[in-house]
Amino acid sequence: MKVSAVLTTGLVTANLVMAALVNVAVVHVAHADDSTFTSTAGYGGASGAQIYDQICQGCHMPEGAGAVGAGHYPKLAGDPALTSWQYVALTVLGGRNGMPPFGLPVDQVMETRTVHLSDEQVADVVNYVRSHFGNKYKGTVTASQVATLPHPGAASAH
Amino acid sequence: MEKDARSAPLSRRELLRMIGVTAGGAAMYQAMDSLGFSAESPYQGPIDLQGAPKGASVLILGAGIAGMTAAYELRNAGYQVQILEYNARAGGRNWSLRGGDTYTELGGYTQHCEFDKDLYINPGPWRIPYHHRGILSYAKRLNVPLEAFVQVNYNAYLHSTGAFGGKPQRFREIKADYQGHVAELLAKATRQHALDTAVTPEDQEKLLESLRDWGALDKNYAYVASEASSDRRGFKKNPGGGLTAVPIPSDPIGLSDILNSKLWEGIPSGDTFDMQTALFQPVGGMGRIGEAFGRELGPIIRYNSKVLEIRQDAHGVTAIYEDTKSPGGHLEARGDWCLCTIPLPVLAQIPMNVGPAMTAAIGAVPYASAIKTGLQFKRRFWEEDEHIYGGITYTDLPITNIGYPNTGYHSGGKGVLLGCYIWGLNAMEFTAMTPPERVKKALEYGSQIHPQYMKEFDNGVAVAWHRVPFIMGCMGMWSTDSRAKHYEALCQIDQRIALAGEHASYIGGWQEGAVTSALDAIGRLHQRAVAEGSKA
Repeated sequence: MKVSAVLTTGLVTANLVMAALVNVAVVHVAHADDSTFTSTAGYGGASGAQIYDQICQGCHMPEGAGAVGAGHYPKLAGDPALTSWQYVALTVLGGRNGMPPFGLPVDQVMETRTVHLSDEQVADVVNYVRSHFGNKYKGTVTASQVATLPHPGAASAH
Repeated sequence: MEKDARSAPLSRRELLRMIGVTAGGAAMYQAMDSLGFSAESPYQGPIDLQGAPKGASVLILGAGIAGMTAAYELRNAGYQVQILEYNARAGGRNWSLRGGDTYTELGGYTQHCEFDKDLYINPGPWRIPYHHRGILSYAKRLNVPLEAFVQVNYNAYLHSTGAFGGKPQRFREIKADYQGHVAELLAKATRQHALDTAVTPEDQEKLLESLRDWGALDKNYAYVASEASSDRRGFKKNPGGGLTAVPIPSDPIGLSDILNSKLWEGIPSGDTFDMQTALFQPVGGMGRIGEAFGRELGPIIRYNSKVLEIRQDAHGVTAIYEDTKSPGGHLEARGDWCLCTIPLPVLAQIPMNVGPAMTAAIGAVPYASAIKTGLQFKRRFWEEDEHIYGGITYTDLPITNIGYPNTGYHSGGKGVLLGCYIWGLNAMEFTAMTPPERVKKALEYGSQIHPQYMKEFDNGVAVAWHRVPFIMGCMGMWSTDSRAKHYEALCQIDQRIALAGEHASYIGGWQEGAVTSALDAIGRLHQRAVAEGSKA
């Protein structure tokens, strides 16, 4: 049967890819000759400010200005939704409306080609956007608070 | 395994991109997705939509490949068809940036493409596998001429910053040497009777014969410098004519060097189903397909139309939209049925009264980050100096790819390279820069492979897909989990609305996914329309 032949090939490929991914996931050596670009698995050291500048700003723009086209990227400067740190943290963790999730376990990020941020990094970047661009939202968030929120992919993390 | 990975320069980058996945991010995603591994197109020839009810109409949202495929077929079947398109051009991601074009990304950065006449870059799809019969058939029906896309060029490079002193290696040499050494090892094992339990004596003889043939081994089953091995990896001095005719064989790279370089990861770049020869590109740029569709459909497409709301009732579907040239207006378009091909990140922000299952599905698919740059150089040094005609160099540098033009060989004057094609974190980092910074970075990295870069550079453009106003991302990235939960709901007709596009397919990121999802959706809409009968 055509279908089963395809199945077999697909599974073999998937296994090979998974094997490759496992290797990638454990590597945490940043690119030696470059300070601008980092390997996915080597992103663990990035701070909230760096994460905003290198990832978030691609869509939300410098100074959290947002942008409008056929759809829009929310303007983070003055966004009342940022009042709730939980809302912001859940958005970073799980993504929203096409925005990639950043809270997937490190071994699951390749499937959707996104990036893993630790709870500490999520807390950092949440604090960053709530305290910059003219925002002065009350309270800071800790990694342990982020850890209490639902994370994507957690059920099938193993 | 950890140790291997740490010492492996290529694995520091997402190594999947070395296997040709880069290009079609889809390929990797399909490999990963236990439901999505069948990349073979189900396209079975032109769709049969006989018996369209008289006067029935379909409103189509989006003039990309999916929307225009649907419009073309529905119109031919007798439906009244109208398309609303956000852009001022047809094609969507089927798009070529050419000299004279202007492109403004989200955030307001405007780039003026200054390429010479006939030179272009495809920010989106750039190749069509021979088995993507749907998109190929529309190219044929629309009289869009094709030419070969070179996926594997034996004289292009595999490059790792951590191997061979950072010097790029010819694909030809890495492949021949890897294959030769593996053949030699297997022959040795066979002759030392290590395979006696697995292979019969008769088969062992044939196996040895085949290994000699496959690996270019000598009469003793060794992979050594010889005419046979040089015939694969290239000579130190090529055979010629006259007094200087005598060829000098080249020395193979040692097995250990090949293994440690990890460059073998690049060998199967043309072996995956989506990347196997033959592949095609339209003459003049991928955008020629969208442009031809646009001409064919003419006034059916209303350009500069931004959809604000989609409302269905018992009799039809209304789209409320504004003209982007005079914003603030309230225009309406209506059809008995609606095929919506608006990319999910945009659609998720448009109010639409569909059921909770489809609504959840629309919000459940993250869109990938990807970026390409086109770099124009004053001369085609890759051809003139390095004899690389088309194809792709793969590198562990953040640029990942250098794509050489598969057309215009030996033409004097300038040439345009694909200076990078990136996914994942590095794509996000590139996206966060301004376009001139992206071009500058692509140049800096590329010059590690082609030292001619800095001297010969002329101008460049960079398209980061998360900044593209009509889509806000490159392509839908289904996970196995999200596909299991939401895919069917995304594809089911919700009363009078059906969705289509690569996001509603198992051929994600490929134009074939757009074509086949559109045909599938309009086939089902047609059945409903017929069942409902002609309008009262």
